Amino acid sequence: MRVVLVRPWTDAHAGGGCCGGEVRDGVCLDGRRDKDEGADAEVGLMAQTYLRLQRDLPEVDVQIVGVDNTVYLLPSVFRALRAQHGVLAALRGMNRATTAGAVLVDGESVGDLTALGVEGALDEVRRRLPVG
Amino acid sequence: MPAIAVAAVAGVLFFLGYRYYSAYLADRIYALDPSFVTPAHEFKDGIDFVPTNKHVVFGHHFTSVAGAAPIVGPAIAVFWGWGPAVAWIVLGTIFAAGVHDFGSLAVSLRHQAKNIGTIAQDVISARARSLFLVIIFFLLTLVNAVFAVVIGTLFVANPGAVIPIVVEIPIAIFIGQLIYRSRSAALIPSLFGVLALYLLILVGQEYPVDLTSIADVFGMEPRTLWVILLFAYTFVASRLPVWMLLQPRDYINSHQLFIALGVIGLGMLVGWEKIVAPVVNDVPDGSPAMFPFLFITIACGAISGFHSLVSSGTTAKQIDKETDARYVGYMGAVGEGSLAVGAVLAVTAGVVATRGDWNELYPDFATASGGAVGNFVNGVGAFANNLGVPLELGVIFAAVVVISFAATTMDTGVRLQRYIVQEIAELAGWHKLARNLTLAGLVAVAVPLAMALLPGGGDQGYTFGVLWQLFGTTNQLTAGLALSVVAVWVAQRGRNIIPVVIPLVFLLVMTTWALIVNLKNFVEADQWVLAPLDAIIFVLAMWLIVEAALALRGSTGSRKPDPSDQPVDDDSGMPSQR
Repeated sequence: MRVVLVRPWTDAHAGGGCCGGEVRDGVCLDGRRDKDEGADAEVGLMAQTYLRLQRDLPEVDVQIVGVDNTVYLLPSVFRALRAQHGVLAALRGMNRATTAGAVLVDGESVGDLTALGVEGALDEVRRRLPVG
Repeated sequence: MPAIAVAAVAGVLFFLGYRYYSAYLADRIYALDPSFVTPAHEFKDGIDFVPTNKHVVFGHHFTSVAGAAPIVGPAIAVFWGWGPAVAWIVLGTIFAAGVHDFGSLAVSLRHQAKNIGTIAQDVISARARSLFLVIIFFLLTLVNAVFAVVIGTLFVANPGAVIPIVVEIPIAIFIGQLIYRSRSAALIPSLFGVLALYLLILVGQEYPVDLTSIADVFGMEPRTLWVILLFAYTFVASRLPVWMLLQPRDYINSHQLFIALGVIGLGMLVGWEKIVAPVVNDVPDGSPAMFPFLFITIACGAISGFHSLVSSGTTAKQIDKETDARYVGYMGAVGEGSLAVGAVLAVTAGVVATRGDWNELYPDFATASGGAVGNFVNGVGAFANNLGVPLELGVIFAAVVVISFAATTMDTGVRLQRYIVQEIAELAGWHKLARNLTLAGLVAVAVPLAMALLPGGGDQGYTFGVLWQLFGTTNQLTAGLALSVVAVWVAQRGRNIIPVVIPLVFLLVMTTWALIVNLKNFVEADQWVLAPLDAIIFVLAMWLIVEAALALRGSTGSRKPDPSDQPVDDDSGMPSQR
C-alpha cells in the first residue's frame, strides 16, 4: 500500500527552470526562509502524520509530494486508479489528487489532512489496510 | 537532414550516456552504496528531510532545472553552425553536466545534504564560501538582467503577447486564492488558467500593446521602459508570499512546459522539417571565435552550475537510497540537454525553409544574439503550424511560453538575489542591510536593472549578446566551483579524478580564455562598464583556479579518512548501516 501526503499549499516552492528554480536551500548558507506561521502549522501537521505513519504502520510506503510535481503525481494516480475504476474515474482522481493537503491511499483521495488530523488520517489508512 | 533524425541520434547518445557512463560514475567514481544512511533518513523530520521515492524526487528536480535558459544559449550558438552546437550539448551533457549534477548530489549526500557553498568551505577552504556567494551574486545579477532584456525584446517584437502575460498575474493570484481558501483541487483551475492564457492570445492579437509613444515621452527605447517596468513588478512580487502568486503562476507554467515540449516534438515529426542551417557556419571576419565562445554561450543545456544549487539543496534532503542519486542527478542533466537540442532544431529547421533565409537571420553575431529568442519563437510557431494552428497564433503562443518561463525565472531570481544580498551583508557585518527586506530587495533589483540598461554597444543585439556571454561565464564558474568540490572529494578518497578534472579544466580554460578576449575587446572599445565587470569575473575565475589547485594538490596522493563516509549511529556510536 502507498500513502501520499500532498504538501499544503502554503508550503510553497517558487520558480521553475534553469537559473530560476527552487534553490533556497542551495544558496542560503544560514537557512534563510520566507515562510509564515500559518504555513508552519500546516507543515507541522503533515510532518507529524508522516512520522506517525512511518512509526505505527511500517509496512505502508509513505511519500510526501508537492502539488506541482506533475511528472510523478498525475501518472502515478492515473495508473493506480485506472485498473480498478476505469479511465474516467482515474481522470477525476487525478484532479482530486492535486488538492493541497490531501491524503491519498493507493491513488485514491481519502480526505484533507487538516480536517482529518493525525489520528483521523491514520484511521483512514488503517481501514484500508489489506486484511491479514 | 531531417530534424527528427538529429533528435533521435541525440536521444540514443543520451541513453547510452545514462546507461553506461553514469553507471561507471556511480560504481567507480562516487562509489554509491545502497546501504549508506542518507541524510533523508538520518535527519528525517517529515518536512525537509524526507526519504522519497526516486521518481517523486526526479519530478521535483526536473521542474527545478528545466526552463528558459537552455533555450536562449543554443538559439544564439547555432551562429557557429548546428553541428558544433549539438555536439557541445550532447557531449557536455554526457561528460560534464552529468558528472557535475550527479557529483554535486553525491557529495552533498555524504555531507548531511549541505549546500555546495557550505561544502566548499569544508572541503576546499573558508575563503571558498565567500567565493561561492560572490559568484552566485554575479550569476543572479546577470540572470535577472538577461531575462529582463529577453522579455522586453519579446514584448516589443510581439506586442500581442503583452495582454496574455500581464493578465496571467491576476489569474494566477485568483487561482492561488481559490486553491488556498476553498481547499479545492489545483489541476482543473490551473488548466483553466492555461486555457484563459491562450484565449487571451486572441485578445492580445486584436489589441497589441505598444509602449513606443510612452517611451518617447521619457526619451527612451520601448524595450528600456519594459525592463524598468519588469523590475518594478519583480520588486513587488518578491515581497509577496510564495504561495500567493509565484506558486500558482509556476503551476500554470509547468503545464505550458509539457505543452511546448509536445508541440516541438509532434510538430517536428508531422512536418518532417529539414535542417536548413549549415553544419558548420562560415562566420564573417571579426565574429567571436567558436573557441572559446561557443562554450560559454551554451551554458544551460550543456552544463549549468545552477544545477549544483538544486542538487545540493532540496534534492539531497529527499534521496532515499544513495544509489537513487544516479537516476535523479544524471537524468536531470539529460532532461535539460534534451530541451537544448529541441531549441537548436527549432532555430535551424522550424524557423525558415531555405538556407538563404536562414543566413539572413544569422548574418553576424550581433544580429544572431539579438534575434535568437525571436527565432526560437518563430520556429516553435512553425512547428505549431504543422499541427494545424495558424502561424500567427502559433508564434504568439510560443512567445507567451518563452516570456512566461523568463518571467518565472526573474520572479524567483530577484527573490534569490535578495537572499544572497542578505547573506553577503550578514557576512560583511552590515546587519541593517541583512535584516531590512525592503533595502535588500532594492539592492537585488537595482544592480541587475543597471546591468540590463548598460549603455554599451549601441544596438540592443550587441549588448544582449555580451550580457548573455557574461551570464554563461558566471554560470560556468559556478559549475567550476562545484566540480572543484567534487574533484577534491573524489581525490581524497583515492579514486580516479580524471572524469571530474577533465570537464573542470575544460570549463576553466574556456571561461578564462573568453574573459581575456572580451576584456581586450571592451578596453579597445572604451566599454568602461563592461570592462571592469569582466575584470571582476576574471579575478573570481583566477581565485577559483588557485583554490581548486591548492585543494587538489593537498588532497591527491594520500587518502584522508572522512567521517562522512560512515555516519555514526546515534545509539551505538558505531558507523551505521541501513
